Amino acid sequence: MTLDINDIQGNIIKAYGHFNLPKVRYVFLKVANPDVGRAFIQALLDQDFITRAGSWSSKNPAAITTNIAFTYNGLKILGVPSASLSTFPSEFSEGMKTRRSILGDDGISSPEHWDPIWQNDENIHIWMSFNGRTTEDVINRYNDVKELIDSLDEFNGEAGVELLSGHRAANGKLQDYQEGAALEINGLPTRKEHFGFDDGISDPFFKGCGQPAAYVVGGGKPKASASDSGVDLTSPNSWAPLETGEFILGHHDEASEIPLAPIPHDLSKNGSFMVYRKLHENVKAFNDYLDNLSEDYAEGREALAAKMVGRWKNGAPLASFPTEAEATIFGDKYAAAVANLGKGANAQENIANLKVFQDLDIQLRGFNYNADIEGSSCPMGAHIRRTNPRGALEFGVEDAYQTPGALIDRRRILRRGLPYGKFERGATNDNGDHGIIFMAINASIKRQFEFVQQQWVNYGNDFKLANDRDPILGNHPTDEHTGCPMGRMIIEGSKEEKKAPFFCGNIPRFVETRGGDYFFIPSMTAVQLIANGIVDPT
Amino acid sequence: MSNVASKAYGLTILSPIREKIAQGVSGSVLTRSVIEDLKLHQHSPFAKVANTYLARLYVLNDVMFQGYPEQEDHLKSKYLVFASNFYGDLDEYLTGLWHGAQADVKQIWAHCYDFESVTDEASFLIYMKKCQLETTFFFNGSVGLGEDDISLNEQLKALYLKQEFAKFVWNNQSLSPNELKAAFIEFSHITQPNQPEPSWAPGHSDIAQG
Repeated sequence: MTLDINDIQGNIIKAYGHFNLPKVRYVFLKVANPDVGRAFIQALLDQDFITRAGSWSSKNPAAITTNIAFTYNGLKILGVPSASLSTFPSEFSEGMKTRRSILGDDGISSPEHWDPIWQNDENIHIWMSFNGRTTEDVINRYNDVKELIDSLDEFNGEAGVELLSGHRAANGKLQDYQEGAALEINGLPTRKEHFGFDDGISDPFFKGCGQPAAYVVGGGKPKASASDSGVDLTSPNSWAPLETGEFILGHHDEASEIPLAPIPHDLSKNGSFMVYRKLHENVKAFNDYLDNLSEDYAEGREALAAKMVGRWKNGAPLASFPTEAEATIFGDKYAAAVANLGKGANAQENIANLKVFQDLDIQLRGFNYNADIEGSSCPMGAHIRRTNPRGALEFGVEDAYQTPGALIDRRRILRRGLPYGKFERGATNDNGDHGIIFMAINASIKRQFEFVQQQWVNYGNDFKLANDRDPILGNHPTDEHTGCPMGRMIIEGSKEEKKAPFFCGNIPRFVETRGGDYFFIPSMTAVQLIANGIVDPT
Repeated sequence: MSNVASKAYGLTILSPIREKIAQGVSGSVLTRSVIEDLKLHQHSPFAKVANTYLARLYVLNDVMFQGYPEQEDHLKSKYLVFASNFYGDLDEYLTGLWHGAQADVKQIWAHCYDFESVTDEASFLIYMKKCQLETTFFFNGSVGLGEDDISLNEQLKALYLKQEFAKFVWNNQSLSPNELKAAFIEFSHITQPNQPEPSWAPGHSDIAQG
């Protein structure tokens, strides 16, 4: 199937961080005057700033991208009529702050602790991103847009469009933008987040996404055959692409319906909804916890960390590489394959090298938990098993479901975003500028992102884990009298190996919310409608 | 068999409520305010009645109209519905209810037809059985639906032991076998698995209360 990639914004289709665009600035704008706001959007269109999915290809990659999205308040002030606004989903019009109890943003994650920019969130109307190959590319585009904003008319002595400040950066400094970048180790960009794990490995594969067909492995939905024992899960035959409508409005979704979307159709088609969350990582707390608990854990510190995440730090999934030794062998092979890419003596060798790399890369995604229903290799409560159960909720249940993905195919999210701050191996406190700008793109924030966050990250019932939370992301409670952290996780043992389960107690919050909101990413058609002020729902 | 599953009993009582009482306030409104003000958990009147697994009260106003072309049905009156799942024999349970929570019972049923005929244990049993509806309504989870139903006190003891054992596991997992054995003996000594006490009191709804 072919999507109109010149109508869809590029950030929906591509995780820029994986396309050699490891630097980013995110900005938020307030529109004080609708006419000036629309003139600004028109100017962005006139200067061809907004990056479409079709703007570049692997042969012609962009050095800089620009994307734009709107809050409910943003659409409202830009003149989208109420008859159209009222057709947006309620979670979008309410916004992230109002949804905080569903998201578990309580205690230290509650909105009063968010960055200053979120303290007046009714002013946040427009989100923009500038992803670039180099910091210089990013700064140039940022300055171009800033210049454009400065050139706009004033309105009653106030800027018609205002770039909002208040992003907390290193040493508590407040900035006009949120900076982000792939973490560098030894001067090279990596896929790592601040706890040291390779991140963003598995992203959904959907019809029309334009990724190489082999990436359906692990990214698509499990076919019925995926639950047969002995099936090759690294083969594309075990997986099928998800329907486009799970991620892009106006297309079929997994229920064989066109997803509910705002009217008019032209406003919503080829658009999507985006969650923006600034997630702070308490690196010291995480490392201290591992140091302390691994004294009691026979398999050691790295294994304990891997059990919490579901992958080893080099990305190798526990489901396929249950021991550290296996994971290390895999990691060495993978690193060698990456190093050999493009280094062959001739074209033939290069093709062979690429094949070696791809076969290894596929192993990072081509797995499920069918052979590990009890969680002996990858615990039921591990981060990646919770947030993408890959059919683990259905395995072992006879005849109850038509497909092994019945409970997960409608809960997938496209993950975008990059870490912020500098990688620091031995962080000595938790106040460093360490975290991730997490963005999730989905057709329904409520059904997809919010469900995963509420039921799978901050609750455990679906995994028969009572009210245990995701060890990494969960909003672990503290004892109200002692202040002692109360998070729990069970590392299942093994009946076959007669290994006892291990209990991780007193888990503190490793990740805290520092801000965010819900945004609508319109298609290029819709951006033009908004700029013209002619959204007509009648 | 209706009402009974193994040793668990699913009791459903529908008592018609008098509509007009005085000054335009209906019996159902008064009944609703009584049951909404009842205390919860270990302070609930039903916590005083032996072997109550779970009990629930509500006012049934009418049946729902299912839509055209169905016939539109109505109840002759509003009903106070009392649903209780308990362990054991009905007469024994109702006797326990009458003696364990008599003041609450009199208040709850005060606005029901013919409740003035209830003056003692015998007339209470007659009244309740007259209002009884045969059902197979059980709260999911309150019964084993097998031969293994156990009395409430045994259930509470089991829950207490389960919770304490979980705590024991969390607190002692890294001990050596000898230390673990000593800790377990200490655990058995404190929790007394074969004795009724210590245990949870009826009506406790979470760990903090237990």
